[in-house]
Amino acid sequence: MPASLFERRLHFVVGKGGVGKTTVAASLALLLAARGRRTLAVELEGDGALARFLGAPGGPSYAPRRLAPNLSTLDVDGKAALEEYLGLVIPVKRLLATIFSSTVYQYFVAAAPGLKELMSVGKVWYEATRRTGEGPAWDAVVVDAPATGHSLQLLRMPEAARVSFGAGLVQREAAKIMELLRDARTTAVHLVTVGEDMPVTETLETRDELARLGLPLGALVVNRLHRRRFDPAVLDRALAGAAPADRALVACVVERAREESGWSEINAAHTMRLREAFAGTPSVELPFLFVEEFGHAEARALSEALGAGLGAGAAVRGGRRA
Amino acid sequence: MTAPRGPGTRGRSSLADVVARHGIIVSAGSGGVGKTTVAATIGLWGALAGRRTVVLTIDPARRLATSLGLRALGNAPHEIPRSFFEAHGLRPKGTLAAMMLDQKGAWDALVERHAPAEARERILANPFYQHLSQTFAGSQEYMAIEQLCVLADSGAWDLIVVDTPPTRHALDFLDAPRRLDQFLDRKVVRWFVRPYFSAGWSALRAVNRTASFLLRRLEQATGVSALVNIADFFTSMSGLFESFHARVERAYEVLRGDRTAFVLVTGPEEQVLEDAEYLSAKMAELGMSLKGVVLNRVHKEWRPPVRGGRGAEVGPEDVAQVAEVVARALGKPGATATALAENFVDYQILARGEWLRLEQFRLGLRRGVPVVDVPNFARDVHDLESLAAMHPHLF
Repeated sequence: MPASLFERRLHFVVGKGGVGKTTVAASLALLLAARGRRTLAVELEGDGALARFLGAPGGPSYAPRRLAPNLSTLDVDGKAALEEYLGLVIPVKRLLATIFSSTVYQYFVAAAPGLKELMSVGKVWYEATRRTGEGPAWDAVVVDAPATGHSLQLLRMPEAARVSFGAGLVQREAAKIMELLRDARTTAVHLVTVGEDMPVTETLETRDELARLGLPLGALVVNRLHRRRFDPAVLDRALAGAAPADRALVACVVERAREESGWSEINAAHTMRLREAFAGTPSVELPFLFVEEFGHAEARALSEALGAGLGAGAAVRGGRRA
Repeated sequence: MTAPRGPGTRGRSSLADVVARHGIIVSAGSGGVGKTTVAATIGLWGALAGRRTVVLTIDPARRLATSLGLRALGNAPHEIPRSFFEAHGLRPKGTLAAMMLDQKGAWDALVERHAPAEARERILANPFYQHLSQTFAGSQEYMAIEQLCVLADSGAWDLIVVDTPPTRHALDFLDAPRRLDQFLDRKVVRWFVRPYFSAGWSALRAVNRTASFLLRRLEQATGVSALVNIADFFTSMSGLFESFHARVERAYEVLRGDRTAFVLVTGPEEQVLEDAEYLSAKMAELGMSLKGVVLNRVHKEWRPPVRGGRGAEVGPEDVAQVAEVVARALGKPGATATALAENFVDYQILARGEWLRLEQFRLGLRRGVPVVDVPNFARDVHDLESLAAMHPHLF
């Protein structure tokens, strides 16, 4: 990753459902942590899957959990974030409890459109800018965002709130959040895709939408690439040459070779499309992993590939001594 | 020739029966599992079989257009021209139309239909209305169901196929009408919005002191002074919400009706299967019937054919042996034979994990629900031809 990207504090990982966004977010967090950045991996409106890939069992946790010297995780949920926020501005505990249990509150939350989404992004902003006595609380915050459509809704929210909510605390907060999100020195929105038609089309649309929103594009990650190709003539020869006893196995070997070649071709074609469209954008291509089940070990393997692909070997500056 | 031991073939033909026997098919599942493709495939199948078919997508990412080879989909059903089918060598006996939910447009249409003429402009310009119609969680899903009801009630279609947003949203899809109904509950609306609008806080205080106090604290705390807008909106729209409860009842009637079948689409990955299980439990809870399951992009494990049973597993430890067999077939040992064997074994590993998960998943399904497996085709399914090529696997 070019040094400037590496030094940004706030990383959003965005992509179509099913492209491996969470695993890429986990890999990026592992990579940053391994490079000495004190990293917080945040899952937005999820179920704790990101933390599980990072080796933390169990469900979501709405307070930062430390997993390794440089790595913590946090789950962010709009409702919880709103309650936490109200807790900060309404210091009377007894009153808060009454508010949260009242139907009026439920109604207010439903009726203040986008407030929960705004609070989710606000919570991320809070962590990204939080300072302790010694300086910033985190060097890097990696956010695993929901599927593209919903992600864009979340990222749009501060601007929408800034424009629509009456002048007040929330509007002021929204303006601050938007300023940070749009700052290319601190923020990067990374796009994850696989090399297939629909996800690539969606990725191109998302890139345009980010530009419209004024949000800084980070890296492009092309995930799950098949790379092996087999000569069809060789495959035909194998089929023809198989002895009767070997035929079933050879036929299956050939079938899998054709499948792999087919995916490799599709992936290559769409990767070409991406390379043209994203010329000048840092990008990395990650291999398809043939495993029984994807877990922590695989996230580690991918994080190395991610590092190699993005040139993370370059010296990383900016992180404080651990 | 091969003897793939795939996840079973229980009820392989009966997804066809499910589609044939129902007028509304809802395709549900997580993002990226091929839900849209399955919806389009079912729609095409209906059209080929002679039904007047429409496919409705509510996915914000607008994928269906790509699937059907259309550049854009409109908010009204857009019929795919006959010439387009013929260009792909298909001769449908029925028709196929596609439409995409334009959420904002659908809300605006609702306002046009129900709000008094003099209030329309004011409503359309109301910031709360703009939020409700564009970003209110569940509002899009509600509109999709509203749209589905309009299509269902029009009598113009024999088969309506609905594509839904990803799981966490698909749950919203099922819950949305109820939630919106609660939200727009006339009693609640009257209770505090109207007095607030007409006479300000003092009137509201007279109605409910606690509510007034809490709301004021919330407004102060957040600076969200949207309540005036909300009140204005509700007052202008009161006609619409009088009938809202009835509309929601109608929506659930359609979703729970005998004509409607839910088809769950899932992939073999752990995360995706968890979502699928969650969704199917939720459907049962809401009284909506899961009538079919499509296991998409499944890899099959190979076992040597053995008389009267399954042979032993072939896994990573057998690479050398497989390479030897391939080398024999090729007439020479070498890098190619080894590469082929390694590739084969990689897919065996993948298939093994999938099989273990899918077997567990099947155990949790209600008996008699047809389950079909669709292999992981090495091609992009995004035009009519490739959709038609999926038919033998689904039906």
